[in-house]
Amino acid sequence: MSILRQFSRLSICPTVKFQLNRNISTTSALTFKITEQLWAEPMKKKKKIDPAIVKAREERRRKKIEKQIRRLEKNARQLKPIDELEVPLHLMDSLKKYKRPPVQLSVEEIEARELLQKEWARYKRDEYMNNIAQVDRIMAAQKRALDRLYEESEDLYNEAIMPDLQLLPYTISGPVATPPIKDYESPDGEYIDVSKKWDN
Amino acid sequence: MLVKTLMRMNITYYHRLLIRSISSKPAWDILTGICIERLPVVTPPLTEMQKKYKEFLLTVEFEKSMKSNHEIQHENDKKQAELFKAESQDVDIDAVNKVTAQDFEDAANEEYSKFKFGNLETDADKKGDKTSTERCLQRHLVLVTQRKLGNDSKTLLPQGHWQEGETLRQTAERIVKEQIGSELQIKFISNAPCGFYKYKYPSEMNGKVGAKIFFYYANYKSGNPTKSKVNWLTRKELDEMLPQKYSNAVKEFLIEETY
Repeated sequence: MSILRQFSRLSICPTVKFQLNRNISTTSALTFKITEQLWAEPMKKKKKIDPAIVKAREERRRKKIEKQIRRLEKNARQLKPIDELEVPLHLMDSLKKYKRPPVQLSVEEIEARELLQKEWARYKRDEYMNNIAQVDRIMAAQKRALDRLYEESEDLYNEAIMPDLQLLPYTISGPVATPPIKDYESPDGEYIDVSKKWDN
Repeated sequence: MLVKTLMRMNITYYHRLLIRSISSKPAWDILTGICIERLPVVTPPLTEMQKKYKEFLLTVEFEKSMKSNHEIQHENDKKQAELFKAESQDVDIDAVNKVTAQDFEDAANEEYSKFKFGNLETDADKKGDKTSTERCLQRHLVLVTQRKLGNDSKTLLPQGHWQEGETLRQTAERIVKEQIGSELQIKFISNAPCGFYKYKYPSEMNGKVGAKIFFYYANYKSGNPTKSKVNWLTRKELDEMLPQKYSNAVKEFLIEETY
């Protein structure tokens, strides 16, 4: 019945005849009604706050925010451990433009390269064997010299085989690619090594 | 008669024993020779094989690499230049006017060509001056002096007699100070000798049959020899100038040069 009444609102012609409900009662009727909001307050008077205190509050707020900024920045200044480093996003996005077109090598070229690798392996092996042979030769020469010294006099031999304690630590700087220029003034200036040392 | 021959035999027998016991071991002079070597200052030139392989490695590295910012800038510049030529659009005059990648590269190349590297062929090389350590920067140089042995003077490594009460290493240091001067800074690398050479005197001198030379090796650090004229020889020159067997003994403990 109620559904029908709700739908009747949509129709143009009335489906149901309205009945006037005039409640007439002889005794006092108990009609429930909710009153309007009674427990509100009128607006309080705005007290004038001391401008100094206002300023102090603002200062404190600003300082708090600045401290947080500084803390974040300190975090950014500290170097990340290498394990945590990532490729910067702008590089990852533009990876395409950095790629080269793939190289097409002919079969002969590939074969020539492989043969070169094998030749190099052979060359390096020869070099290595030569190095070992030289080291052996020099060591044998020293051994022979010591044997002869032993034949000659035992005392000298014993003194010769004592370790030289002043030798280590020994440093030699190796050969360079181009000859050193005399009295060369480095345009970048001299560098002073400030790396931390942890010696005992 | 028999007794006399027996006695004579005994006497001669004991006489021989006596002589043998006195001169049982031949006595040798002990000398120390010092090999002071100036190590190469510049790397030796690349061999054919090394050059080929180096080129190969560079091309492979280039193929596997990614473009650098400089290259991308160069490509962009080319595109801009073409657009500008075609005059289809007046594109970014600013982008065209600024320093192109090619300009930067040219300026860099110019600076490189203007820079003077040190000369591999030093003055000493040009003059053929064998007494300076500045010659042959790519080779090992060994110090030799002239010595009079008997009648002729030979080129040998500095050597001298061992004296009682000092070790062979101390002898070596003393000889360097005496014969070459204390300005020369060298560093001996061990207490033990690295080579050996013995030769007999043509006739016995002071009861010694010959001399035994124990070689000590030292690295040249700095300084100049003051007391006597010295030569710094490369391996080839050592081979030529030193007496044959002596040179063989010396080459035993020196590194062979490969070029």
